[in-house]
Amino acid sequence: MKPSRTPLSLLLWVNSLSTWRRFLALRHQSRLLVGVIGIFLTGYLLLSYFMFHLGLRFIGRFPGLGSLLVERLIYLLFAFLFLLLLLSNLVIAYTNLFRNRETAFLLTLPVPIETVFIWKLIESTLLASWAFLFLIAPLLAAYGYVNHVEWHFYPATLALVGVFLVIPGVVGAAAAIVLARHLDRKAFQIAVVTVLLSFIALIAWRFQPEPIANEQLEARVQAVIDRLLVNTSFAQSPALPSYWLSAGVQNWAEGALHAAGFFALVLASYSLFLTRMATLFLGNPFGEAASNVQSRNSLFAEWAWFRRLESRRSALAAELRSTFRADGRPQPVDRGKYHPAWHPSDPLDRLLRRLRLAPDARAVVAKDIRLFWRDTTQWGQTVLLFGLLTVYVINLRHFTRQLDSQFWVSLVSFLNLGACALNVATITTRFVFPQFSLEGRRVWVVGLAPLGLARTVWIKFWLASIAALLLTLSLTALSGHLLHLEWPRILFFAAATTIMTFTLNAIAVGLGVLYPNFRETNPSKIVSGFGGTFCLVLSLLYILASVVTLALGSPWGWREVDPQPGRAAFAWTVFILFSVLAGAIPFRLGLRRAAETEL
Amino acid sequence: MIELIDVVKHFGDVRAVDGIRLTVPRGEFFCVLGPNAAGKTTTIKMLVGLIRPTSGSARIAGFDVQSEPLEARRRLAYVPDFPFLYEKLTPWEFLRFTGQLFLMEDEAIGRAASDLVPRFQLEEWLHKPIEALSHGTRQRVAIASALLHDPEVFVIDEPMVGLDPHHARVVKDTLRERAQRGMTVFLSTHQTSVADEMADRVGIIHRGRLVAVGTPADLHRSAGTDGALECAFLAITEDAFSEGSRSAQ
Repeated sequence: MKPSRTPLSLLLWVNSLSTWRRFLALRHQSRLLVGVIGIFLTGYLLLSYFMFHLGLRFIGRFPGLGSLLVERLIYLLFAFLFLLLLLSNLVIAYTNLFRNRETAFLLTLPVPIETVFIWKLIESTLLASWAFLFLIAPLLAAYGYVNHVEWHFYPATLALVGVFLVIPGVVGAAAAIVLARHLDRKAFQIAVVTVLLSFIALIAWRFQPEPIANEQLEARVQAVIDRLLVNTSFAQSPALPSYWLSAGVQNWAEGALHAAGFFALVLASYSLFLTRMATLFLGNPFGEAASNVQSRNSLFAEWAWFRRLESRRSALAAELRSTFRADGRPQPVDRGKYHPAWHPSDPLDRLLRRLRLAPDARAVVAKDIRLFWRDTTQWGQTVLLFGLLTVYVINLRHFTRQLDSQFWVSLVSFLNLGACALNVATITTRFVFPQFSLEGRRVWVVGLAPLGLARTVWIKFWLASIAALLLTLSLTALSGHLLHLEWPRILFFAAATTIMTFTLNAIAVGLGVLYPNFRETNPSKIVSGFGGTFCLVLSLLYILASVVTLALGSPWGWREVDPQPGRAAFAWTVFILFSVLAGAIPFRLGLRRAAETEL
Repeated sequence: MIELIDVVKHFGDVRAVDGIRLTVPRGEFFCVLGPNAAGKTTTIKMLVGLIRPTSGSARIAGFDVQSEPLEARRRLAYVPDFPFLYEKLTPWEFLRFTGQLFLMEDEAIGRAASDLVPRFQLEEWLHKPIEALSHGTRQRVAIASALLHDPEVFVIDEPMVGLDPHHARVVKDTLRERAQRGMTVFLSTHQTSVADEMADRVGIIHRGRLVAVGTPADLHRSAGTDGALECAFLAITEDAFSEGSRSAQ
């Protein structure tokens, strides 16, 4: 008699058990910290529900057009989230299918390759989609409340979303397999970054604001709104799965159950069709792609420019080999003789030498910059985050005519400060926090060197902070210029940005040392642990408290007549106190832990 | 048994494995030696089905690894140099999981485990999470779980890494004993002393080619050396290196 459990059910079982035990391990963390994270997450859900509720009611009250605007917004939101889900599924599926130790382990066991693929598809879809659920849950709850829906709206919407998520999951995995079969890792990363930049360019081109005269707004509201909404019409293409989801949700909310059922069936049929196609036809291509990825086959190798680049590299390698004898042993090296092939000219080394850094600090800085540069995922995500923010800031110039009141100028400039700090928090949590853990088993290399771990932590802090400052100060200056802010106000925001950048980096570096994970080599998994979540929560709370404090004490006031310098001084004192507490405590504790770390 | 039939693997312009032809009969303990980047791990990856050969084929117990993968893998066990284990499971749960994937019933798993667990001294760790185990203990768990379904072919890469002398002895004795009972062992190592002590035959892979194969005595004869197998290995790889350099010129 054979065991009753199928390989897929066994895989689901062991991975669910592992996840459950990871969750139970929270009991061993500090109750205070777990409580802070719990309160933050609940607070986020409640606050965003409240904001969505206010927003939907506000837009819904717009005379004659409220329901139309809400409808368009829902279509637009789901269309963008669908695109982001596709991208997220593509990247996560690639890593999960081709750079995953469990996958390699399963491929040597008597598990059908289709089963391995299906399990990894399920895992990737869940990993790529949980944030989507977290993001839209308060929106859908608020939408239901505003529309006074029946109780069955909520389970039906949950089911619709669940069925919808299968589509970007399967399409993303299929795209990852196609790319993996033809592109090596570097080429894949370059392709993803190219797609990201094209996406940013598309947004910048597609959503350019249109100037509209006041008389048009007063006389021909309907025509103007129609013109404005033309830009959003792509989200209502019936070919988009996000359209089926949006239409299903909205029809269900309106009680049009037949129409909602139709869209639910369209979603279900496509999800089932794609899942069936994936199970039938993607198993073997996945096996071939997995072999190709390990064999480093590359489409680039077939291109002339790439071959020329490679031949240049080979020439350099040949020069290096020429320093060996014919029998393969090194030529005797004269003391003090310079071998140019062993020391290829490197602009980074030259630059760092000019900065007159100490040799040990220079070595760590050069290593970290090289690792960042060679990991396209890291700079790709940085480009995406700051690229989108730059597009937004550049578009500010179109609004300056409308920003003629003190209130709006203040509001936009403080929101810009918040957005900039949020981007820094995302980058520091995603890339700076795992730095110490990523030293991993290699930590002894720097740990046993004369510079010691504590100095290494300092170097990482300065490097990350200065790199982040270059981006944030540039954006602050650009935003201030486009908003036509006077110099004192630009300096005000530049000072606030500088303090916040240093504080956010101190939080990430300090907590990274306090909550290391030396066993994990994947930075995204290090970040998704307790320490990473705590780092993100603390950073967001700090940003919220700082921006609100600075805004309340704005020396320029919120109306033309009420600047209060005394309140501004008090706000800055509180802001600096927040920064010192939030940044210095984890950083000092991290330094102490680094000094005591046993290698 | 294992059959590698004119196996070739290209990585772009690099010929990582260059026409290896080898048969390892049932019950033979075969060790493969070679310098770094010689093509040992690539050969193993093709043998266990992780990568596809550019040309040629690999067979396990008569089943082609590429065209009949499930039949081949049912008869195979593979332990890489850094084996994958589920960190949050206990060794007992991991043993049960792998046994069930090999379609073993619970009683059969229990019977096989009752031999392997005390042999690898895993009793103390059996119900503790794997994440709490040392590298050597993890290695013992991986080897025990690979032996659980009594494979016909056992492929292992650097088995002694992280093992103390006592447990290294246990692993050697267990593999030797299983080989005597008919299991084919294909072991890749850098430790010539392990190959010297354990192998019925030794193969030396250098620059993707199987440059020598035979008993340790055969290798000494062909290299004109005596004493430790290390001497024969160094002589053979040095000759192959010089030949390679001359042909390149």
